[in-house]
Amino acid sequence: MDRDLFLHRLFSLLLLVALQVLFLNRIALFGYATPLFYIWLIARFDSSMTRSGVLLWAFFLGLLIDLFSGTPGLNAASATLLAMFQPVFLKLFVPLDRYDVIVPGSSTMGGRPFTGYLLLLTVLHHTVYFILRSIPLGDWPVLVLKIVFSAIMTLVFMLVAELVSPNHGPKRS
Amino acid sequence: MRSLLDFIVRHSYVFLFILLETLSLILLFGFNDRQKEAFMTSANSMSGTVFRWRSGVEQYFGFRKENALLVEENARLRAMLYQLTDSQYASMENSMSADGVIVARVIDNSVRKDDNYITIDKGRRDGVAQGMGVYNPTGVVGVVMVAGKRYSVVMPVLNGNTSISCKIKGTDSFGFLEWEGGDPYLAQIKDIPYHSVISVGDTIVTTGFSSIFPENIPIGTVSDVERMKNGYTLRVEVNLAVDFSDLGWIYIHSNTRDPEIDALYQQIGR
Repeated sequence: MDRDLFLHRLFSLLLLVALQVLFLNRIALFGYATPLFYIWLIARFDSSMTRSGVLLWAFFLGLLIDLFSGTPGLNAASATLLAMFQPVFLKLFVPLDRYDVIVPGSSTMGGRPFTGYLLLLTVLHHTVYFILRSIPLGDWPVLVLKIVFSAIMTLVFMLVAELVSPNHGPKRS
Repeated sequence: MRSLLDFIVRHSYVFLFILLETLSLILLFGFNDRQKEAFMTSANSMSGTVFRWRSGVEQYFGFRKENALLVEENARLRAMLYQLTDSQYASMENSMSADGVIVARVIDNSVRKDDNYITIDKGRRDGVAQGMGVYNPTGVVGVVMVAGKRYSVVMPVLNGNTSISCKIKGTDSFGFLEWEGGDPYLAQIKDIPYHSVISVGDTIVTTGFSSIFPENIPIGTVSDVERMKNGYTLRVEVNLAVDFSDLGWIYIHSNTRDPEIDALYQQIGR
């Protein structure tokens, strides 16, 4: 693996973990909405990565978040599941005739498909996350509210991140 | 056979997925409460250190408000001192020391979860031990749940497992303060006998029975009283004195429990 790319990814991972555990975990808008913006790392994985690579990165990302949030296994489980589906979702939203490496983003995929892709990722991840977190399940309406509100917040964060940094990161040749 | 091997190699990520997911779920559900407490990372020094950095930065934004609180508390304490007679004052001055109190800072905190926890920057090294009472200038905060080496985790009033012995100020009617979740400014007392004279606006304070807290530390004021369905007890809503969303310095009551009381409790299995 390209060393620069690896370091860049590692740096993004640490930055996202810090952002999540130091600030975002403490947001609780209306008592329900907590952005889980750290999945941005997984959302940006390009199509050249091996599926095992995606899984491992996601697992360690989740585990680190867990370590600092006092929630053993919760984020690791939901991030790993997300990583299983990320390459599949990416293919869903990319034109079939493209065989080059795709770095997910509005410039490569188009604004709408990219938003749809992010929405699908977010909803899957948040559903798994909040179900695991509220076991034993009881209060369904509250659970749904938490998923919906948090997903909206996460999505907003991701779209802002996309706007702020359209195509940064080392270009692959 | 060859094609089977091929299949396995090509789909090795599926096995990896199953492995990682199993690992996560073991972490999530395989831990019993005791192991979870140990994982409560906040008590481990790595995350403790990170949270302390953050708190160090945030501290600068809260100075003004915190100062006001401390000055108010000083004024109250002074007013109490002035009421002492000369001889009382002299004898107190001789025996006083700040021994029974450890001062710590809150470095991580939540109020929105069903079970909230607070992390503080003092641990066993500083004399903090499990079961010590924690309060601040405005009132009761909680009880130390896990004491790490340099950091500790406090179970605040805003936790489903909390139960703090309390009474109505100036009387002997007592009960246990609990938190049903939801509103971080309201807690409940459920087992006060129905004949107790209690009205909205009464002050709730600690009892000092358990020696976890000193006696008469404020907890809050009564905001609502209703009779429970069983007819024998009252349900009392308490407006908490402490604003848990804004905690800075706290005091830890480190007067050790009387071993004799502990031994007695042990005998009756409490």
